[in-house]
Amino acid sequence: MNRRTALGFGFLAPALLVVILFFLAPVVLTVFFAFTNMSTSTGIRGGEYLLNQSILRSIPEDAISTETRNTLENAGYQVNDQGLAKLAETVSPATADELRSLHGGARFDSRRDMERALKDLRENRIRSTRDRKAAADLFNTSILNTRYNTEDAFRAALAGTNVPVGDHDALTSFAYTGWSWTTENMKLLFSLDSSYRYAANTALYVALTLAFNVGFGLFLAISTFYLPPVLASTFRTIWFLPRILPPVLYVLMWKWFTWDTGFLATMTGYLGIAPRNWMLDTATNAWVFVVLINGCVGASLGMILFSSAIKAIPTSMLYASEVDGASRWQQVRYIILPQLRWPILFTTSYQTLSLLTSFEYILLSTEGGPGRATEVWALAAYHTALSNYGGNLQYGLGAAYALILVVIGIIASLLYLRFFNFKELVSKPRIEQ
Amino acid sequence: MTKKFTGALAALMMSVAAVPAVAEDVTITVWAGGSNDSDAYRIDAIAMAADMLEREAAIRGEDLNITVEGKRDFGGWEEFKQGVTLAAEAGTAPNIVVTSHLDIAPWSQAGYIVPVEDYLDFDAWPLNDIYPNLLEIAAYNDVQWGLPQDAESRPFFFWKDTMRAIGYSDEEIAALPGRVASGDYTLQNVLEDGKKAVDMGIVEKGYGFYPRPSNGPDWGQFYQSFGGVLQDPETGKLVLDKAAMQAFYQFFADAVEAGLTRKNHIGTDWGQWYSEVANGKAALWHGGTWHYGRYTKKEGNQDFFGTIEFSLIPAGGENGRPNTITHPLVYLVTDQANDDHEEIAAQLIKIASEPRLNSLHAIKSAHLGISAQQSNIELYADDRWASEATERLLGEANAQPNHLSYGVFSEAMWSGLEATWTGVKSAEDAVAELEAELTAKLGDELIIR
Amino acid sequence: MKSNFKSWPVIVVLTLVSLPLLIMFTFQLVDTFTNPIPGSIWPESFTVEHWRFLWEEPELGRSSIWVVTWNTFVFAATTAVAVTTISLTAAYALSRLNFPARRFFLGGLIILHAFPTITLIIAIFLILQFLGLYNSLIGVILVKSALELPFGIWIMKGFYDTVPWEIEMAGVQDGASRFTVWWKLVLPQVQPGLSALLIFSFLSGWSEFVLPLVLAPGNEAQVLSTYLSALILDDTKPDFNLFKSVGMFYAIPVIAIYLIFQKKLMNIYGGGSKG
Repeated sequence: MNRRTALGFGFLAPALLVVILFFLAPVVLTVFFAFTNMSTSTGIRGGEYLLNQSILRSIPEDAISTETRNTLENAGYQVNDQGLAKLAETVSPATADELRSLHGGARFDSRRDMERALKDLRENRIRSTRDRKAAADLFNTSILNTRYNTEDAFRAALAGTNVPVGDHDALTSFAYTGWSWTTENMKLLFSLDSSYRYAANTALYVALTLAFNVGFGLFLAISTFYLPPVLASTFRTIWFLPRILPPVLYVLMWKWFTWDTGFLATMTGYLGIAPRNWMLDTATNAWVFVVLINGCVGASLGMILFSSAIKAIPTSMLYASEVDGASRWQQVRYIILPQLRWPILFTTSYQTLSLLTSFEYILLSTEGGPGRATEVWALAAYHTALSNYGGNLQYGLGAAYALILVVIGIIASLLYLRFFNFKELVSKPRIEQ
Repeated sequence: MTKKFTGALAALMMSVAAVPAVAEDVTITVWAGGSNDSDAYRIDAIAMAADMLEREAAIRGEDLNITVEGKRDFGGWEEFKQGVTLAAEAGTAPNIVVTSHLDIAPWSQAGYIVPVEDYLDFDAWPLNDIYPNLLEIAAYNDVQWGLPQDAESRPFFFWKDTMRAIGYSDEEIAALPGRVASGDYTLQNVLEDGKKAVDMGIVEKGYGFYPRPSNGPDWGQFYQSFGGVLQDPETGKLVLDKAAMQAFYQFFADAVEAGLTRKNHIGTDWGQWYSEVANGKAALWHGGTWHYGRYTKKEGNQDFFGTIEFSLIPAGGENGRPNTITHPLVYLVTDQANDDHEEIAAQLIKIASEPRLNSLHAIKSAHLGISAQQSNIELYADDRWASEATERLLGEANAQPNHLSYGVFSEAMWSGLEATWTGVKSAEDAVAELEAELTAKLGDELIIR
Repeated sequence: MKSNFKSWPVIVVLTLVSLPLLIMFTFQLVDTFTNPIPGSIWPESFTVEHWRFLWEEPELGRSSIWVVTWNTFVFAATTAVAVTTISLTAAYALSRLNFPARRFFLGGLIILHAFPTITLIIAIFLILQFLGLYNSLIGVILVKSALELPFGIWIMKGFYDTVPWEIEMAGVQDGASRFTVWWKLVLPQVQPGLSALLIFSFLSGWSEFVLPLVLAPGNEAQVLSTYLSALILDDTKPDFNLFKSVGMFYAIPVIAIYLIFQKKLMNIYGGGSKG
């Protein structure tokens, strides 16, 4: 018993490891992300502590005192004893003395002015830019624009300023650059008009593509069934190509075909129709091609499954029907189609889910255009989280989009499990009985 | 600390007089976004600068060996920014990135980049020669994060033959830039002239006004044309001027309605777009200063100045102002585990900003220069486009704000325009949705007028 | 089958609906070796210049096609081997071995089978980063293999299910261990499934686009799909016949493998199971 268990788990172990790493862990993380405000500017890894003018401005009026604001903003650079002592230590006492005589007690607003002051040194020049910058830093009394790795470091720096202690906590929380927990993403998702549009697009996309996949797959399977073997396999080969050609190239072929200098425009041009980009001309055009591009890929899968199911039909049944004088249509309707019920059901349910989450072909062909008319949910998740013109990657919001798909996927799979008679799949292994 | 690091440190501590020569091999990676073959000098200039820096080091008796690795074949800005962001997040960012100045705000906040002012002296050559307003665009929160890599602006174009055909004399065409600048010729005139050109059959339907077919910095210009302001100078917050935004959306809806602009224009292939505007298929359009290079070379327009007039983007009407947005790309230095590599990267972009080196890029890619002395470089000075465009456009140019949430703002603004343009929504509804979305996403960071 | 129905109407209809695809394939092939008559789509003269990318040096900032091709091959081949090996053992366990929670794993497999994997890519990125495998070929291979795994296990389970129990019974009665039985007796029985899965995952890896795009943007790990898509977006070079040649170059191995192993590949759905 133990050995058997060990063997079972041993055989399963590599798969389990990979599944845990790249399926389960990402799902758990996605759930977490969906409830954070993670974006490009907060980063993923967690943040540091930083104050600058933008952050100060974004702090609400009443959160910190005006005195604090002024103290922070007007600190600047000061040639004070403290700094001079450090300068004497790191460079030389002579340098410190010369600076004291030139600028002792001076205050500079900017780092550049401080560096200029250091350039006034004649006897004890600091020649290297890097050293001069290091020297200037010794006189910095402002904590603005400095990043602190830890909260302690930030609080320590804060303690070194004249900022009232009462504001330290508030400043520390505003200075954190990392992400924080929020439920805003979900609220935002349900409040945006665009979400409902994307959902409707997705429903349309899945329904149309699925109908095409199954309908056209059936057509291919049945029609090639009635052909001599060589011809049949030729046509099947042609129709299997969309499935195995790299998507990048396959979609490009469609683009070249539909461009306003492409084949379609040239042909319609002979009929006197002004050349146009047939794929992106109108939303309807875009939908037609999105469905065709995806559909031709999906139809080949249907074709293979249905073909093998038709082959399983006893030929005697078919001959008998012909002898009885059945027309081809009757043969298809009363003998072939009933045999295909199960494969059709399977293809439909399986492809519903994969279509729901697929966006690769749309990304490559219309990119959701024109005017976001073909933007489906999964593509919106990708655009939000990882790919938009401004480079404004909103991981949190994107994860919220993804989470909804995850939930739908799990619910649908569980339903399918009930539906497709799970018990049959898990019939007990016989050796152990 | 390994011997290698100590060596690097020693090599760079220039204050120390006699440093034992230690061979130092450094690989500097440069990623350039939005760069075509004509923009090759964004990377090549770094390679040339590396040669210079090596020679300088050799004279000081140090053996510095820099290998420059470049990458610019990204799918588009989307892929580039995704790549840089994720790489920086993973701690494997390229040393130098060439990107939009708008990335400074989020990337500095996230800690992906380091201020170049930590390494460079801005009172020294060649940095003290760079136009202060361009340096300003590469700064954020009073910190100089990067160096401008090029300058440009985004003019409005007129096809001269078409203008003649709808009744303009040569003198009137020549006066157009002036009329635009004074606010006399507005976007309403654009609608009229474009419609005339379409109705008279001089250009095809949909080619009266032929805008950029994708998202970009250009759209802020039209918002500004109608009196919109992107950022409040007092508080630094972003501004949504509802009236201006609606007028801007409405302008594009009107253009579609009147048959000047195609309803399905967005998403037009760029190759097709360039070839059409460069050869007079469109009456009026807008683009960028770098289009000059594309029109005259690839698209074969031999007589740019004879066929095309250019101006600021016209005002929208009484309340607006003629304007143009400049959107300089910047060299940024990313945060690295080894500070010495940051220093070398900073030195390289400094050298690459020498007038002579930058002019190679400016003229090859038809961009504008970054520093005053470039007008004393013959290659640059002899170029008619660079000098005329600088004079006519750069004076009125403003940049988009470096603000953490500007990305959200501009994406949402574009979505609204797309919806109005394609007829999915009325201008009013689009602005209402924009307001709702921006209020939800930006909160306090937004002022609504 | 032989039938008393005429086949020509079927041929005509099938040919008509296949026409768009046929035209695309034809132009895709013809354009790589010809120059068009200016301003039209019809070919005029023969040339090999569109294939110059094969021997020209790449510019600074671009990758060499041969490095990219090698990357693609390594990616596809490693993925195929990994998917097949892991599927072989896991599917056997699920099909034939009795161990606790087997039902649970089977149910889980079916859920994974229809999972929105690609939408999890942000989280996947984070995990790769923790493992230090972001922007490396190994990382993309791991992720791709993982995503292909449910399909692979499902297919292989279908093949194992059709192996007669008598074979194993006989082995076990002769005193062989379950492992030996699997290795010596069962594996040869599922060999058609094994080859089909191997070929199928190779093709799938060869074609993958989004994963390398997001998880390995650097030059070192670039593959042909991202190379091609980046090339096309470079708008100063609208040399479409060059693009088509690169595309053709990319597709040749796929088509060759498909034509050679067509029969074996079709077995992928022949495992007797419902999918």
